[in-house]
Amino acid sequence: MTEVEGTPSMKRRLAEMGIRTGSHVRVLYRTTGGGRVVSVGGARVALDSGLAAAIGIEHRDD
Amino acid sequence: MTTNSSASNFASCHSDAAGPLAASGAPVVALVGAPNVGKSTLFNSLTGARRQVGNWPGTTVEVGRARWSVPLRERTAVPDLAGAGSWDEPGSEVALLDLPGAYSLDAISPDEQFTRTLLMPPDEADRPDLIVVVADASRLARSLYLVSQVRESEGRVVVALTMSDVAARREIEVDVEELHRRLGAPVVRVDPRHGIGDADLARAVAQSLGRPPLPARPRPDLAGDELASADERFAWIQDAIDAATVSPQAEPRTWSDRIDRWVTAPWLGPIIFLAVMWVVFQLTTTAAAPLQDGLDALFSGPVSTAAVAVLSAIGLGGSWVESFVVDGLIAGVGMLLTFVPLMAIMFALLALLEDSGYMARAAVVTDRTMRMIGLPGRAFLPLIVGFGCNVPAISATRVLPDSRHRILTALLVPFTSCSARLAVYVMLAATFFPNSAGNVVFAMYMISILFVVVVGLALKKTLWRTMGRDPLLLDLPAYQPPHLRILGIVTWGRLKGFLRTASGIIVATVAAVWLLQSIPVGGQGSFADVPVSDSAYAAAAQTVTPVFAPAGFGNWEAVGALAVGFVAKEAVISSWSQTYAVEEPSELDAPGALGDAVREDFAQSSGGHTTAAVWAFMIFLLAYTPCVATLATQWREIGRKWTLFGVGVQLSVAWVAAVAVFQVGRLLS
Repeated sequence: MTEVEGTPSMKRRLAEMGIRTGSHVRVLYRTTGGGRVVSVGGARVALDSGLAAAIGIEHRDD
Repeated sequence: MTTNSSASNFASCHSDAAGPLAASGAPVVALVGAPNVGKSTLFNSLTGARRQVGNWPGTTVEVGRARWSVPLRERTAVPDLAGAGSWDEPGSEVALLDLPGAYSLDAISPDEQFTRTLLMPPDEADRPDLIVVVADASRLARSLYLVSQVRESEGRVVVALTMSDVAARREIEVDVEELHRRLGAPVVRVDPRHGIGDADLARAVAQSLGRPPLPARPRPDLAGDELASADERFAWIQDAIDAATVSPQAEPRTWSDRIDRWVTAPWLGPIIFLAVMWVVFQLTTTAAAPLQDGLDALFSGPVSTAAVAVLSAIGLGGSWVESFVVDGLIAGVGMLLTFVPLMAIMFALLALLEDSGYMARAAVVTDRTMRMIGLPGRAFLPLIVGFGCNVPAISATRVLPDSRHRILTALLVPFTSCSARLAVYVMLAATFFPNSAGNVVFAMYMISILFVVVVGLALKKTLWRTMGRDPLLLDLPAYQPPHLRILGIVTWGRLKGFLRTASGIIVATVAAVWLLQSIPVGGQGSFADVPVSDSAYAAAAQTVTPVFAPAGFGNWEAVGALAVGFVAKEAVISSWSQTYAVEEPSELDAPGALGDAVREDFAQSSGGHTTAAVWAFMIFLLAYTPCVATLATQWREIGRKWTLFGVGVQLSVAWVAAVAVFQVGRLLS
């Protein structure tokens, strides 16, 4: 994860969910409506397409 | 709007509500945690069936309250702790509060604002004596943010660690002792789904209550810089996690993930969702129907007959007392009880969908569609259930975590056309449009959906302009097999709540209608022995009849039927047959004599534009207040103010739409 864009309150909500600049996020699969499910800190979090686009994910092979 | 109440209101509400529980000086313990960490399950497990649920005064935020036994008395055996407590006498019970889920104390939604004000009131004396933060071992980073904030001020804190089994499946190990040292607060492992650890938690709480409050954790002075403050918390949490947990290098893909891959998939997800909704719909309509009919038959048959026999035996046969008992009381109680099987099925299904974890997936799948009217995906469920019956549908708004969403959805549910209204459409369509009855009924359902969308958009544009802009960001809890004991407790608790609130309103309204129908006006008949057309009820209907002239059905028979329909839509047809003194048609699609009488009246009142008037009537019937049971349920879920507002919206929408349809139809024909 390289960067999180968005309003301060959105950033804070993402941060509470564990999605912050520099955190390790794994994209698992696509959902209905173009969103994504990601794995972060042991949790599964669903994001809609807008949010998925707003977080810059740096690809890294595990 | 209730959710705008000021902070000081919350504080005073707190002392009001805690009053009866804390009257004996029992300490107040608040249970907090992020959504889906198992907080309410823990609450139910600790307090069992003694849970009291109710909307907090002045808000629609629901808070569970109950007494919880903890071994407080042990504390007197420890000499150096004497007098450390802030209450007068040592007891064995504390007042436990179950607060709405919140990820942090940075209030974003009204529910979070509420939790914040309760935990950190301006006046320190209003603070709970102890805060239990529920943390999910499988997603510890997330759960500890609240701990970091709560620990920033002085106070007693205990951390209850749930979901250790899920963590173990994901090969995450948590060292409870180390976590205790890092957080500076006792940590207790619990498994409320199996009742494990409850006693340990009670002991830890009792011990903490016997000690002075924990000092605030040391942290650098950040001079109110919010971002730096948040970063400091995340760093503190990360340190604790690094020290106290061992996570696998490569996270194993769980079977929960494998299911989700299909359940939320772009094409398959909606199909699975619709299949689940179909099952819910069938169970709340088809499966509940025989039970409802059975209870109805029991009350109108044997119970009424028995009551008549008893009253005759004591010399009251045929009197107004008999009429009141049979047509007022027994009819009212019977109506209430016919909803019991339906509500029990609905509540059990809700608990099942929530508890298993499917509800969160359904929210993801439907999010895009529902967002158009400003509602999150899970609002789909109440709206679908509404097409069966509005009463359980309004209770189903509980699946929505945000109170604003609950209110908006509960206001929209009455516009979903329930099966009781279907019976009236079928009868009218068969009378007036015998060749295209099916199409007419189908059109009514389309119009119903249109009403939901239009009213939803209108309310969103006017009352909650900021709502629905939050993008979807949702935790998907791991699937878990439903637990029968928990399902039972939740279902019974909700059913009890429904009975307590709805019973009074339903029975009182049915009795009031009986009273109006029993009072003779115009010299005909005597009290409780008067044709409906000569009763105070008809007189009242007559006075409002002119209001419906522009809609083409300004005849009092139609208006009287609508007035009865306010109590229950099923009563519309029987009211007509009573009024016209004809046999109620045994087959709705062959209305016979009743059809002829109704046809004549509509032709007269509409000045020959019968078709337009019938459409206007059906549309009014669709949109106005569904029944008194719906009102009672709304009253319980969203409060009196919003219920009355909803009635206003329903009546105005119904009237405007009916008039528009008649006037346009008249021009076209």
